[in-house]
This record gives sequence, C-alpha cells and structure tokens, in this order.
Amino acid sequence: MKLRRLAISEEGFIFDPETGNSYTVNETGLFILEKLRQDLSPEEIARLLSQEYEVSPEEARRDLEDFLEVLTRYGLWKEPR
Amino acid sequence: MIKVAVSGINAVDNPGPGLGIIKGLKEGAIPVSVVGLAYDAMEPGVYLTDLIDRVYLMPYPSEGEAPFLNRLLYIQEKEGIEVVIPALDPELPLFIDLEPRLSELGVRSFLPTRKHFKLRAKDRLPVIAEATGLKTPATFAVSSYEELQRALSRLRFPVMVKGLFYRAFRAYNSTEALQYFQSISAEWGYPVIIQEIVEGEEMNVVGVGDGEGGHFGLLAIKKLWITSLGKIWTGVTVKHPGLLEAAEKFVRHFRWRGAFELETIVSGEDIYLIEINPRFPAWIYFAVGVGLNLPERLLRAALGEEPERDWEYPAGKLYIRFTDDLVTDLDLFQRMVTRGER
Repeated sequence: MKLRRLAISEEGFIFDPETGNSYTVNETGLFILEKLRQDLSPEEIARLLSQEYEVSPEEARRDLEDFLEVLTRYGLWKEPR
Repeated sequence: MIKVAVSGINAVDNPGPGLGIIKGLKEGAIPVSVVGLAYDAMEPGVYLTDLIDRVYLMPYPSEGEAPFLNRLLYIQEKEGIEVVIPALDPELPLFIDLEPRLSELGVRSFLPTRKHFKLRAKDRLPVIAEATGLKTPATFAVSSYEELQRALSRLRFPVMVKGLFYRAFRAYNSTEALQYFQSISAEWGYPVIIQEIVEGEEMNVVGVGDGEGGHFGLLAIKKLWITSLGKIWTGVTVKHPGLLEAAEKFVRHFRWRGAFELETIVSGEDIYLIEINPRFPAWIYFAVGVGLNLPERLLRAALGEEPERDWEYPAGKLYIRFTDDLVTDLDLFQRMVTRGER
C-alpha cells in the first residue's frame, strides 16, 4: 500500500519518497492517516473519529469521505475492493 | 596530487556541470589540482581561484579537431594533466575520438563510446525506451513543411518542438509550431522533433556506467523548481523503484561507460524517457551532497582503479541552487584575454 511508504512527521508533514511530493495535513488528517496505516476500515475510522472529536457519526463519515477523496486524487489511497 | 582538467566551468543561468564536478573532486579522498577548460574569458569558473588552480581558453569544438588537439597538447605540455573530465555535449565527440591519442600522452578519461554518444539524438529515444522498458512520448522527426503538418495532425496541442540535440519550445497552435520549426531548422538543421507533451513529475537519474553493464552508483531526483530555461533550481532525492530499475537496465543493455543522465517524466505508473545526456548534469553536486561522490568515482575509474559501487542514498534530501557575487581585479580577465590562460 502506497500509504506505508510515506514519511509522516508528528507535525503533519508528509513526504512521498517515490514521487518526491510533500503534503501537509492537520491533526485530524494525521489521525486518519495513522488509522489507515493500521489497516482500519473507513467504517471503523469514522466511528473512532466521531468518538475522538465528539461529532455525529454522519458528520464524521462525511468528513472522512472528503479526506479519502483527496488522498485518492493524489494517488495516495485506493478504496479496497 | 592528481592533475585533472575539467570543462563546463560556465556557472551561468544555463550552468555547465564543471563546478559541481570540481566541488565533488575537491571533497574526495584523492587530492586533486584542477585545470579549468573555458570557452570564454568571462566564464565564472575563471575567477574562482580557490576551486580552479589554472584555466585555459579552448577553441570551439566547431573549429575542428586539429586546433582542439593542438590546444590540448599545449596545455598538456605545460600542466602534465593526468585525467580529463569533459562536461559539455559539443566537445564530447572530439574527446571520444581523441581518447586513444590523449591516453598515449598520459591524459586518461572515462568516456562513453561514439555509439553511446549517438544515442542522445532525440530520434533515438524509442530504441532506448524499448531496451529499458520505458515509454517515449509520441515523437515525429520532421524535415519538411508537409511532414510537420502530418505530425501536427496526429497530435493534440500543445506540442513540443525540439532540435535533435538542443532547443525545445512549447507550441500552442500550428502557427507557433511552424515558427519554432523554422527557427530550430535554421539554427540546428533537420530533422526537427515534434513531440507529444506528457504531463507528470519531472524526474532525472544520474549515474556512472562501468562499460561492462554495471555501474558505480545511481541517484534519482525530482525537480521541484525550474528556471525559465528549464534548469533545476531546487530538487529532492527520490527512490522510485521503476525509474532506478530502468536506469540499471539502460546501463546493462548498452554497457554504458562513463557519466550519464536520464531525463524522464513520471505519470502514475508510466515513465516516459525525454532525453539522455552522455555526461554529468549541472546538478551533479547533489549526488556528492548525499554521499555519492560520482565525480570522484569517475576519476578513480579513469585512473584504472576500482571505484566504490555502494549507492545507498536517502530519499527526501533537498538541493538548493543559489546565486553568489564575487568582486575581483581586472587582472585575471586581462590575462585570459591576452594570453588565453591564467
């Protein structure tokens, strides 16, 4: 998985050693990336997000989907089949 | 102390590789004394006396082999050069042809062969691409207005209009394409290359082939900032397995000897070969800076030693080019103009 090769700093700076691209994410983005790297499913991550940030499960899922869409656009994540 | 002659000391907006090579040599374990080969008295390297001990003006390679060799013989007599590292495309065919004679005189080098050198023509890219598993953008070599129109009808605008060896322009319509076709053919002759534009990450690999299918190290980088001339200003080291594998295949297949640079565009899983240079690129100091002293390894190969082959390097190292100022007396310029040397 492409996400595994990324170098991710605690401050949310991400470097892709294969493409040389770098990105920044906020605390929530960092939280999601960490969970994705632990092979958690989007459903599980949405549940954890709603608990961690005290938002409704629907809102957490919507925000997560937005973020995953961005990751997909940058070629960093693919929806598991 | 090994005396090494290096050319390409024109660190200008389109910089030659010479200063990067020299910085690498100076940082290496072999003590060197550097003789710069310049083509103009104003080349910045002429004035960098800490890096370059002596400088000689060279005749342009276009003047032919005889004046070029005569000048080298004169320099050899005065300096006793042991190794020459040419760094500019136009002089390479002369150094390649003169390699046996210079070697007899004690001037050694580690150069690509004539056959290798010819691979850099842009109409030869498909041959290299096929051998390495890389792709090439759709490319047409055109020599007439009709051929140009035919090529344009098969591509979508914008397209690249390139000389076989030098110059590249982006044309957004057929009027622009014709204009560039005419200016390139007037300056560089035919054919002119019409090429599809591939969007993606601009990544390059530098390396030194051992001439037997192996190499003395490879480094892959991505250009982050480029100048209006397309020259790298900042870059970052990358570890792109497909690209490095293709570079190893290239070295193995052609049994490449000496320095080379592969210029590519990486678009998702596809790697397109855009250009190959049979010499070090101007950013060669990047390799030195990340622990791969390729200029020194090339020097060792030229001296008949076995250079290191380890080429582990970290991804995510940054390269920053910057401008600098120097103030000096007219003395050096005067010597270069009147005597052709300093």
